[in-house]
Parts: sequence; C-alpha cells; structure tokens
Amino acid sequence: MTTIVRARSLTKHYGRFKALDGLDLSIERGAITGLIGPNGAGKTTTLKALLGLCDFDGDLSVAGRDPRSARHKLMEDVCFIADVGILPKWLKVSEAVEYVGAVHPRFDHAKARQTLAAADIGTNRKVKELSKGTVTKLHLALVMAIDVKLLVLDEPTLGLDIVYRKEFYERLLSDYCDGDRTVIISTHQVEEIEALLTQLIFIDRGKIVLDAHMSDVVERFVGVRIKPGAEEQAQELKPVYVRKSFGINSYLFENQPRDVLQRLGELYTPSVSDIFVAKMKQEDRDEFVPD
Amino acid sequence: METLKRLVLRNRYTLLLTVILAYVGVIVIEGTLTGREARVFDLENPYFDINIDQEYLRSRANR
Amino acid sequence: MNSFQINVFYTLLKREMWEHRLLFVGAPLVLALLILVAILWIALQPGAGFLADALRQADLAFEGLPVLQLAPFLFWAGLPFIILLYVCCIIYLLSTLYQDRKDSSIFFWQSMPVSNCTTVMSKVVTVCAVAPLATVFVLFILFCLAAMLIAVFGVAWDLEYVSYWRAVAASLVTLMLIYLSAVMSSLWLLPTIGWFLLFSAFARSVPLLWAIGAAVLIGFLEDMIFSTQYLGNWVQSRSNFNQYILFEFQEIPAKVFNYDMMIGIALGSLLIAGATYMRRFID
Repeated sequence: MTTIVRARSLTKHYGRFKALDGLDLSIERGAITGLIGPNGAGKTTTLKALLGLCDFDGDLSVAGRDPRSARHKLMEDVCFIADVGILPKWLKVSEAVEYVGAVHPRFDHAKARQTLAAADIGTNRKVKELSKGTVTKLHLALVMAIDVKLLVLDEPTLGLDIVYRKEFYERLLSDYCDGDRTVIISTHQVEEIEALLTQLIFIDRGKIVLDAHMSDVVERFVGVRIKPGAEEQAQELKPVYVRKSFGINSYLFENQPRDVLQRLGELYTPSVSDIFVAKMKQEDRDEFVPD
Repeated sequence: METLKRLVLRNRYTLLLTVILAYVGVIVIEGTLTGREARVFDLENPYFDINIDQEYLRSRANR
Repeated sequence: MNSFQINVFYTLLKREMWEHRLLFVGAPLVLALLILVAILWIALQPGAGFLADALRQADLAFEGLPVLQLAPFLFWAGLPFIILLYVCCIIYLLSTLYQDRKDSSIFFWQSMPVSNCTTVMSKVVTVCAVAPLATVFVLFILFCLAAMLIAVFGVAWDLEYVSYWRAVAASLVTLMLIYLSAVMSSLWLLPTIGWFLLFSAFARSVPLLWAIGAAVLIGFLEDMIFSTQYLGNWVQSRSNFNQYILFEFQEIPAKVFNYDMMIGIALGSLLIAGATYMRRFID
C-alpha cells in the first residue's frame, strides 16, 4: 500500500494559540480514516492544512504534492465537504453541476444528474431554497461524480437528522469507497462512523494521541466487566479508564494480555467512543501529574 | 529571495503593507522624477464642443 | 492555454454573471425600462407636439452626415448607462473577493482545481470586458425598441424621415464605440480596480471604508511628510474615465500605447497580484 498523506511536525499558530503542535500523520491509500477529537483539538485546522486552505509550518505531502504551493493542482485529486454549508446561497443546482463539470477534468455529468434525480433535487432551485440536508446531499452528489483519490469530510453530517446521517454514510460506503479511494472523516459523533473506519486517529491540543488501524485497536484495547472482588487486582494492571454504572465496574485496558484479563471478569470489545473518552482522560492526567 | 517571500507572505498585514508601499513608492518616485502631477489628457474633442444651447450662453454673456 | 483551460476560464466568467446578474444585467435593464416608459409617457401627453418637432429637427440636422460622424451624437444616449456601469463595477469589485469569505463559500471555490490567479483574473476580465458587454447588450435592446418607437411616431405624426436608416446604422457603430470606451476606460482605471480588489480581499468588514480610508490616510501622510500630492492627483486621475470616452476609432492606438496607460497597467497589475496573494489568507 502506498501512502497518500504524509505529515511531519505540522505546526500552526493562531496568535498565541497553538492549533497544531508538531503533528505527525500518515494515511495509506484506500484507508477510511476517522479523525476524532474534542472541539478545538485541531481537526479542522489539520484538514485545512491538507487541502492547502491554511498556512502552516512543517512538511506535508498529499497525493504527492505540497498543498501550499500547488493547491489547485491538488484539488484535481482531492474533494472536500465541510461542516457548514459552503455552497454559495445564490448558486442554482444546474449552475453548480455546470461549474464543477467544467473545472474538474474527471467529472461524470451523467452520474451527477442521476444522483440528483434520485435525491429529488430540482436543478432549477437555488441553494438558499434548499434545506441543510438537501444542500449536503447536493454537495455529496457533486463530489461523488468526480473521480478523485482522496475525499476529505469535515463534520459532514453536523446538524442533520439521524435518517440523513445514516443515508449519507451508506451512500458514501456503497458509491464511493472501492478500496482504492481514501476518505478522511473528522467528527465527534464517533458511534456513527465506527463501523466504516479502517484507521483511527485521535487528536487533542494539536497532537496525535492515538494512530492505529482498526484491527490493531481491537487487539490493543480490551474492556473487562470486573468480577466483584477483583477490583484491586484490576487496578494493578493500570486500566486506562474506569466506569462504574449500575453496580458493574467496566475497566478499559491498553496493551494487557488477554489471558490475564480473562481472570478478572468478562471481556468485551469497547466502542471507539469509550476508547476516545479514555484517551482524553489519560491526556488530562498526564498533563497535570503533580510530581 | 525565499526569505523575503516568507517575510512578505507572513500574514495579511505584511502583504498589504508591502503591496501598498511598493505602489505608493512608485507613484511618488515617478512623480518626483517626471516633475509633474499625474497627467490628465487634454480633452481636445470636437464633439464636446457641440453646444445645444448657444442662445442661453449668449443671453448669459449679455446680462 | 489549451481548450480545457479556455473552457474553465469561460465558465469562471459565466459564474461571475450568474452571481451578479442583477448588477450587470438587471440594473441597466431597469434603467432602459425607465427611459422607455419616460419616452412613452411624454409621447402620450397632450402637448407631445414638441417631440415631433424635435424628431423632425434631429432628422434634418443629421441629413447628409456620414454614419461615422453621426454615431458620436447617439453616444449621449448611452452615457447614463456608462455611469451606471461604473457604479455597478465599484460595487462588484468591493464585494467580489469579500462576500465569498464572509459566507465561507470560499472553501467551496478553493476546493475546486482553480488557482487564485485564474480566479482573480476572471474577476478583472469580468469588469473590463464582460460587464460592458452586458451593458451594450441592454443598450442594443433599448436602441431597437427606440428605433421602433421612432418609426411608429413617424407614422403617427406624419413625419418623413430622411436620416432614419443612417441613424439606425450609426446606433450600431455607437454601441461599438461605447463598448470600446468602456474597455479602454477600465484599462485606464486598472490601478483603481486593483486597489478595490486588494481591499476586497483584505478587509474583514466594510471593504469600501478600508479602500477609501487607506487612500485618504496615505495621501494625507504624503502631504504631511513630503508636502506633495502625487498620490492624490494619481487617485483623482485614475478614478476618472472621461478622457477615455471614444468618439472615433482612430483615437484608439494613441490612447492605448502611451506612457501613462502603460504605467497604470503596470501598477494596476501589481495591486491585482497583491489581491491574488491575499486570497491565501482566509479566516
């Protein structure tokens, strides 16, 4: 597999605020990567750096190009859907199709028309007349008709209702991902995309907290519902996260042998959001170590 | 050269300042060298002289 | 440039017209409509006899004049449209690199494989060549309708025109003169176009205030420090297009190929380049 995104010590300041703090990143072709982090962690900044939409320090190569110097060339291979509606309000659907079709060398008009018809979006309507969900659908329809190598989605389903959100990801998976195309999704609604992902990246305060393949994540993190009486033993193994609810103690362990853990209680596969919360708490602990 | 470019493109303000300084600089230097205020063409255009209301002008002159 | 790139640029120009239909086509159409309504209203008044007299006199005055000499007289009919175009272009220039940052649609445009340079160039060409074309198109419709009205008046008031067809031919020449005047004026005004674009790309709010404020401030500083008014004079001459109102085609080479025009184009290009680089800073 070849690498499509490679970043070395990306740094970006907004005044005194460090949005990116020496971020290292590498994403392989064909991966569906989830970029997950709390608000203000640097997700959007990372994506904007990848797209050449903001300046930064450090080395970055996306699809073999430096986004800072060749943004418009890069965009032949990369598409972007953002959290807020970035389609201009005055644009008509037909104009949007015509525009994207004219500037993109690999745009499939028939496919775009077909998708728009299927989504029941009238070509004569203006973006401002469409609901937020429909605008996202329109943007997705435009992007899907382009044969690109990398698709970058920044909170694509923010503000959409659950039906739209499910449909959006289903469409993405069925129409777009073919094993060769790469997707980067940033979100904080982890549960929704958990099943899609092949790579998981946690980001906090401009740094990578976790970067692993999904298969490794399953290996690395094990949840245990601790048997009564085994708590002390469990504590010794340094759980990364402890949750107590309804009298059940769930401990989350990182890099602990399964056979040892099995003796403490019932094992389960933790959800990505559990791991996320655990990692974020761990960060906080590491930050404020009082010694 | 590369350093200069980085300096100018540091942020929006350095860029604006550089562009305006270069622009105004050229205007002022050019003005000093040629010793003239920015030149405006003389309008020697016969069609501008067509005056519809000669009568009115004459009546003003006689007043 | 290959055919793909030409098509991209053509689409960018179309994009500008889609966004600014009201400004570049709507506004002159309203003006043309007002003029037509005014003419009709006057013609239908009881004392419309003076209109018949005026038509007769104009017809006689034009008798024997060659088409090329007749055209400049009709130019005045287009003058309000040129002034309207001037105002519309200022509005356009100040909003074009500002509005897309404000509504964050810049992220959509920037996610397309079109460079900042091509984008800004499309906006310059829109002002210099496409917007005048829209105005001339509206004027063409107005002239056609006016010619029809004048013919109808001729029948109604029993006038026998001698210069009618020559005037119609002259109006087509006038349209060409108006278009060329607008294009050449915009070349002359290129420093001002660049100045507005620069602040349109720079300002986080009220680009008009920034553009005018900066010019006034720097002019004031120049006056204080050097006791000269080069900038003030420059701005004055570069915001005024009256020397580029064309009445004869022969004037064109001398008006384009001269030192003043060239230095204006060079300095305008500097500002436009600045506006292009300014597009990198979105936040």
